[in-house]
Amino acid sequence: MRKKARFHSLKKLRVRQDWSRWSLYSIAKVAQPSTANRTFFQQKWTAKAVTRAYHGEHIREKQWKHTFRRNLPAVVPMDHKYLARYNGSEQASGRGSGADTVDKPRIPPMTPYMQMTYFPLERRLDSAIFRSLFASSVRQARQFVVHGQVKVNGKKIPYPGYMLNPGDMFQVNPSSVMFATGAPKTRSSVKRKIDLEKKATRAAENTTRAPPPSDVVAPPVRDEPTPVELKKHMQDLMKSVEEVLSEDANVKAKDKQKFRALRQTIRKSISLWKTANPETISTLDTQFDFLKAQLSRAQPPFSPSPALTTTPSPIYNELAPAPTLSEDEEVALRKAFDKLKLETETTSKWNKRDSSAPYATPWRPRDYMNAFAFIPRYLEVNQNICAAVYLRHPVARPGLAEVPTPFPVETGQLAFTWYLRRR
Amino acid sequence: MPPRLHPSTFSSAVTTCSSLRPQCVSQPARTCREFSQTPCQRVTKRRRMFYEWLNTTGAALKEPIPGSTNYLGAYDKFGNLIRASPGWSRKRKDDQPKVEEPASTTDQPGGQEIEDELEISVRRSEQRKVKNKDDENELPPETAEDLRPFPMNKYFRSQPVLSEELREAIYQRVKQDGATVALASVEFGVSNERVGAVVRLKQMEKEWIAQGKVLAIPYSKAVLAMVPTTPYVDPSKPENKYQRPITHEAINDLIVHPATRQQLFVPVAESREFTRVDAGKAFDNGLLPADDRIPHPELVLAEKEIAMGLSLQERTSRALQRMDEEAQRKRRKEDKIKAELMSLKTVPKRRWDFVFKDVSVDAVGRDGRDYRGVGWRYGMPHEDRKRGQVKIPRRIEA
Repeated sequence: MRKKARFHSLKKLRVRQDWSRWSLYSIAKVAQPSTANRTFFQQKWTAKAVTRAYHGEHIREKQWKHTFRRNLPAVVPMDHKYLARYNGSEQASGRGSGADTVDKPRIPPMTPYMQMTYFPLERRLDSAIFRSLFASSVRQARQFVVHGQVKVNGKKIPYPGYMLNPGDMFQVNPSSVMFATGAPKTRSSVKRKIDLEKKATRAAENTTRAPPPSDVVAPPVRDEPTPVELKKHMQDLMKSVEEVLSEDANVKAKDKQKFRALRQTIRKSISLWKTANPETISTLDTQFDFLKAQLSRAQPPFSPSPALTTTPSPIYNELAPAPTLSEDEEVALRKAFDKLKLETETTSKWNKRDSSAPYATPWRPRDYMNAFAFIPRYLEVNQNICAAVYLRHPVARPGLAEVPTPFPVETGQLAFTWYLRRR
Repeated sequence: MPPRLHPSTFSSAVTTCSSLRPQCVSQPARTCREFSQTPCQRVTKRRRMFYEWLNTTGAALKEPIPGSTNYLGAYDKFGNLIRASPGWSRKRKDDQPKVEEPASTTDQPGGQEIEDELEISVRRSEQRKVKNKDDENELPPETAEDLRPFPMNKYFRSQPVLSEELREAIYQRVKQDGATVALASVEFGVSNERVGAVVRLKQMEKEWIAQGKVLAIPYSKAVLAMVPTTPYVDPSKPENKYQRPITHEAINDLIVHPATRQQLFVPVAESREFTRVDAGKAFDNGLLPADDRIPHPELVLAEKEIAMGLSLQERTSRALQRMDEEAQRKRRKEDKIKAELMSLKTVPKRRWDFVFKDVSVDAVGRDGRDYRGVGWRYGMPHEDRKRGQVKIPRRIEA
């Protein structure tokens, strides 16, 4: 059997729909179609071959021929003020009576219809997934669809060739997206062994030292208290702090300072609760943000206090460390808290080291991703939930074609002419 | 035939080659087995050029520039960032927002807006902020060429997406303040469909948070840092008091009707006022003028009322009346759907509900081929088992 051609070959540079360095190199090497000493047929053939290697190379030629449309969609952005002021008759007014336009009107930029040849392919589910940056190649996107990682309008759709309709929402499993777009996992067995040893020594150290900072984690979102409860908790906390400040004579001055700081933060958060009206509170996200803010704010008090440990709030229970801490232990703990705060700020809670993940952790984008990172306007993407809405079909507008294609407009025109079937 | 042995001189060639490339990307090690029949990968000119490119321009594209986009179009042949000043170095981090070229105003014929200008007007405020900071390590704002991921395609560029704050603002405006989609679209300069999509996606995001699902936050942050974004100018803040909201995209896109693709020569009397309505009719009898076909015809109406010289109260009362009518129409439509659903008889069962609907046998029509007909129709065989019948669904109900 004949050997299958290389997908990325340096001998025959082909731009492919993926985020590899070979594709990047071939994009950089794309040139104007050569017309010298070539027949029109040859030019068209080459243009077709080059563009088809990028657009839907995983689709059979006949299938693509059936989806090809010679009517290319376009829009013209209109100015409503102009439409209100004129009714269109002004364009010809006075023409017959000798009025001739002296100043030529500015010609709007050309509408690049010829870059829109492959617009029906952008409607396919797999290419839409690739275009919304959920997969690193169309073939991977196709695999995600086939493997059941993709839902369209909340329904699992295993067909990569499903033609999206305007308004369709598709969502990809976030872990798959993180895998597809994240840096690959490369850890040798030696490195893993070294890390294990390091971890063991660290654990041994930790048993002798302060309690590990890992016991201070963000509260699980599921059983978060309602704002009312939260307020009550905060008020209770306030009361206990006041008690400590007024009654306990053997509280040190430094601890007192810390308690005052804590009191301040609690007062602030209570006032924040007061200013917020029930509507804003009722939405879940405000609850969430509120809780997070509380967590980061309630971070200063580390002084020993039996009153704090008796507070009803589960969050503050966690935050209140065990009594009898020495000075340097306190410093270590404070460092740990600072680190935690920084991490929550950069949402590292979501991006922690995880050996079971199929990508390098903490997650970072894969190499060369930024050179391919663009989201066309016909998609509206929410990256947080890895979902996107196909708003409309891609269109051409003056000076801009929405189908992402790496080829010059001349190549596009030749390819379009090829599929017009007038060879 | 004895096995072909490769001369051992190859190994030295490989080492010299790798010493030529001290930088990051390493060529895959040439494993040349002594008794292998497969041809050995030689260091061809093409491979050398590829790795040379990868270590110059490619190296710059490997990782994102913090606070800026990083596309192929922004680099010259030798891998230098064109818009950067000579002293600029990539290593130091600068929290510079992504901005574009300064605006220039031109007149367009036929009431067309220029897309470029809209894009340019985006991120004005940020630009000002940048100008305040004088740092030689600051990257100047991106030009249109810098936003080209495909340098050869002049007609494609990476267009800005909505920033997180803007999405949240749109969601709050629609969901909490109860603004209509059209109103939010005009206020934020975001097309109607996009407003709907943002609200839908944001709603889903909130549901996910409530359910405690894991969001792809690191991914989201990374992507939004790589693509240009439209920032949100919060009008409630004092520093944004005199700022216009930033337009994200053209909201009044007129779809080019297929009937208007041809050139038409219509003789018209000089004395006649030939308007857009007439022009539409000349192309196609059912073709409405642009005023009615754009997504926001109410803006045209409002402008016309201003031109008529109506007072503010009158205009507001008229606008309110129009909104009322719109709401009524919507309600009637919903009522109709509800009534249809109510007319169905539903028998709930353990797993599925049985729904009964009144049908008529006569609905099939005289030839028995009417699409409203139900049940098995003689003479109309199912074709779904035939070869070449595609079973991929055409539409999926939300």
